[in-house]
Amino acid sequence: MSDYGIRIEGLRKRYGKGDTAVDALKDVNMQVAPGEVVGLIGPSGSGKSTLLKSLGAVIEPSAGRMVLGEQVIYDDGWKVRDLRALRRDKIGFVFQAPYLIPFLDVTDNVALLPMLAGVANAQARARALELLTALDVQHRARAMPSQLSGGEQQRVAIARGLVNRPPVILADEPTAPLDSVRAMAVIRILNDMARTYETAIIVVTHDEKIIPTFKRIYHIRDGVTHEEAGEGRAFA
Amino acid sequence: MQGRTVALLAVVIPLLMLLGYVALHSGPLAPIAVTVTTVRAQALAPALYGIGTVDARYTYKIGTTFAGRLQRLDVDVGDRVLAGQVLGEMAPVDLDDRVRAQESTVKRAQAALREAEARQAYARAQLARYRQLLVAGLISEEVVATRQQELQIADAVFAAAREDIARARSDREALLAQRGDLRLITPVDGVVALRAADPGTTIIAGQTVLEVIEPANVWVNVRFDQGSAGGLVAGLPAHIELRSRGGQPLPGRVVRVEPMADAVTEEMLAKVVFDAQPAAMPPIGELAEVTVQLPALAAAPVVPNAALRRIGNQTGVWQLVDGDLHFTAVQIGAADLDGQVQVRDGLQVGDQVIVYSEKLLAAHSTIHVVERIPGAPR
Amino acid sequence: MISLAGRDILHAWGKFAFTGVGLGLLIGVTLSMAGVYRGMVDDGKALLDNSGADLWVVQQDTLGPYAESSSLADDAYRGILTMPGVAAAANVTYLTMQVRKGERDVRAMVVGIAPALRGVAPGWPPYLVAGRQITRSHYEAVADVSSGFALGDRLAIRRSQYTVVGLTRRMVSSSGDPMVFIPLKDAQEAQFLKDNDAIWQSRRRSEANPSFNRPGVPGLFDAVIASQSSNASVNAVLVTLKPGQAPDVVAESIRRWKRLTVYTRAQMEGILVGKLIATSSRQIGMFLVILAIVSATIVAFIIYSLTMDKIREIAVLKLIGTRNRTIAAMIMQQAVALGLIGFAVGKISATFAVPIFPKYVLLTPLDALAGLFVVLVICVLASLVSIRMALKVDPAEAIGG
Repeated sequence: MSDYGIRIEGLRKRYGKGDTAVDALKDVNMQVAPGEVVGLIGPSGSGKSTLLKSLGAVIEPSAGRMVLGEQVIYDDGWKVRDLRALRRDKIGFVFQAPYLIPFLDVTDNVALLPMLAGVANAQARARALELLTALDVQHRARAMPSQLSGGEQQRVAIARGLVNRPPVILADEPTAPLDSVRAMAVIRILNDMARTYETAIIVVTHDEKIIPTFKRIYHIRDGVTHEEAGEGRAFA
Repeated sequence: MQGRTVALLAVVIPLLMLLGYVALHSGPLAPIAVTVTTVRAQALAPALYGIGTVDARYTYKIGTTFAGRLQRLDVDVGDRVLAGQVLGEMAPVDLDDRVRAQESTVKRAQAALREAEARQAYARAQLARYRQLLVAGLISEEVVATRQQELQIADAVFAAAREDIARARSDREALLAQRGDLRLITPVDGVVALRAADPGTTIIAGQTVLEVIEPANVWVNVRFDQGSAGGLVAGLPAHIELRSRGGQPLPGRVVRVEPMADAVTEEMLAKVVFDAQPAAMPPIGELAEVTVQLPALAAAPVVPNAALRRIGNQTGVWQLVDGDLHFTAVQIGAADLDGQVQVRDGLQVGDQVIVYSEKLLAAHSTIHVVERIPGAPR
Repeated sequence: MISLAGRDILHAWGKFAFTGVGLGLLIGVTLSMAGVYRGMVDDGKALLDNSGADLWVVQQDTLGPYAESSSLADDAYRGILTMPGVAAAANVTYLTMQVRKGERDVRAMVVGIAPALRGVAPGWPPYLVAGRQITRSHYEAVADVSSGFALGDRLAIRRSQYTVVGLTRRMVSSSGDPMVFIPLKDAQEAQFLKDNDAIWQSRRRSEANPSFNRPGVPGLFDAVIASQSSNASVNAVLVTLKPGQAPDVVAESIRRWKRLTVYTRAQMEGILVGKLIATSSRQIGMFLVILAIVSATIVAFIIYSLTMDKIREIAVLKLIGTRNRTIAAMIMQQAVALGLIGFAVGKISATFAVPIFPKYVLLTPLDALAGLFVVLVICVLASLVSIRMALKVDPAEAIGG
């Protein structure tokens, strides 16, 4: 296992050309170790979304270097060829809303990713069930997403993010619609999972309730990240 | 997911089954419904069917031999008349005057006869007197000869006068006969069937004024299609169904098959009489349907005529042999009016033949045997 | 890998089923429409098949007897019978008219069939479904079941009453009217003697005509009336050939020596299909094109709206690394599945609708196969728009973008 789940150095992103060009990201540097959960905080227009998309390998940065685990993703204009497979195998996503696929049951929602990667159905389902068990939603394994509560859905979403054992998980406002108790529960799960599966987790949030839980926080302002220590408060 | 799959199957499987059923049981792939009958031996009682019109056996057309005007007509259509009855008369015009003139002529001839008689008697007396004088030698022979001649002339005049009377009488009788011919007289007992003219009409010689028929003597002039008139001979029993009395056939028999057939209409003509005259005479010209009963035939294999099919130029039947269709050409014989046809050759008693079918059959058709063709009302 | 399309269909099966049924009814209408056309062609062919003839001899220079009126002397067949190669020749008359039964009347084609010497002659109904063939030379009728007449019914045709003794099926004129077979002589009379009033009037007209009703010539008037009220014409002579005779050769010799127009089966079919129902078939073809366009539009719209409903899921799927191919396959499979459901429902509904149609509707398996193919092509084409939409979805949309 490498030292870093994800390492970003001097990432820049410019939209447009010439006079109208806008630099959304100017200088982003981040390092997250496996098992670590960091916060990413920034006001609107700070470049947070662009950073998230870049981290999520949806848009390509203009310059800089990004390494996932041991795989270099971007390096000053060079990029991995199959971003789609990369997203599938190396990045887990957890969104503000769970965004589960409504026509697949809980197990298949989770098992879909390994299946897309070519894992046999039974095996993928076994892996999914393992994660669902770890997240304590195995009893809803055959339910449809619409039958689950918000917290359960979010846990399934987390399971889906973890199922391919990615080195990094991007969690985009995972607690926004939840009350503080449930929000804390989610954060605890994320911490547990980060430890258990040795995954680096970046939580993009502006939820005051959970900011104090991070040990390390990256602030982004005008496309530049600043690292600072968080309170690292234990969660209730 | 289990329940869902079951639900899906519950929808999809019936749908597929329905589709399969629909594909196989409709359209050209569907088996053809047929009904089957067994060839039986049956004695047919064939019959001939023809239509005809009621006709009077004899029609008496009464008219005059002279042109003239019709003066009176005493009878109308439907009146019963007796033989010899005067039915009407033509206007005599001057015929009566001529008879009277002729009577005068007779009288004048009688007067002339009387004059000749007087002259003859005088001449005879003169001759006798002169003969005595000659015997006495008072006159010469020559004078006696003159008297002799005068007597002979008087005799001749007398004879002529007598013949004149006979002539005048005959003339009168001729006129009287003519006068009598102006009367319309029926020769038979009967009914007036037609009145072609009314008093005042001018009739030409030979024109029919009245038609008299004998009600007891009507028959039916029947036409039979030549193709189906085999066996038609005089004496066969028949049923006559008059249009006005539908459903009440009257018994009758064929009295004559006309030696001349109708070449244009391709029909044979026959006359059929009623066994007992109907109480009310049927109107002449009424349409009648006649069924002539032919002698019953010996029992032979029969099939319904609905089973007969025509393929190419062969008449035959679809035979069912071990569930397979076979077209069997047959020779057919007599048929009755109920649609039973004798098979002379090609089928045995007990053979299974197709009677009705839903569609035109072919040798490779798939069939299924039913009691009754679906959709066909009873 | 699981089938995303299948799961989606299972998940929204109610919506899908209803959409499928709706589409199916539309396809059913399309198939029925094709069936109507086939039915029309088949009516024409049935008319020819049922007549059992190899050649049709008609009045010179007419397209008779079906497409145009034709009139021949009823003894012309005798001359035709003597032509080499002719096996049988039978007179036939066709007259489309109202046939009355009690209060009801039915538009029917009255066919006058010549008496058969042995069994059945050309022109006779080739098969029955009930009853028997005509045995009497007058006042019996065999009717098609589609006329609604039953055995034993009394029909009034012009001035005469006919008893229905047999029933046929699929004996229709080229315009689908049921046929009623009656003996030729009756049919000739029916064709000529319109009704009693007309006869009276024509008799009175003749009576008023001094050249027909001469006082000096007794009997002339009767003869005139008799000749006026008889009809010695038929519409066609149906000819069958001896085995091995070429129809064209025999037809040519009749044309040449009898000075009549003769059609072979192929020519007759050309006249019926090409001339009688040409406009109708174009009409129906037009309808089929419109229905195909409507169906395609509907399928496209349904698939499009189904896809648009899933646009967020598609973005998520793309974000978590689903290949375009997989997404396109999902949409196309759904379209094809919709097409298949629609086709099945359409085929079934069309089949069950067939007996309801007043005229004959013929669904052929080949048409159904072609319909299936067209439906699938339409579905695939219709899904292309949606696929394009889905592929344009930005996976970044899933990330709060």
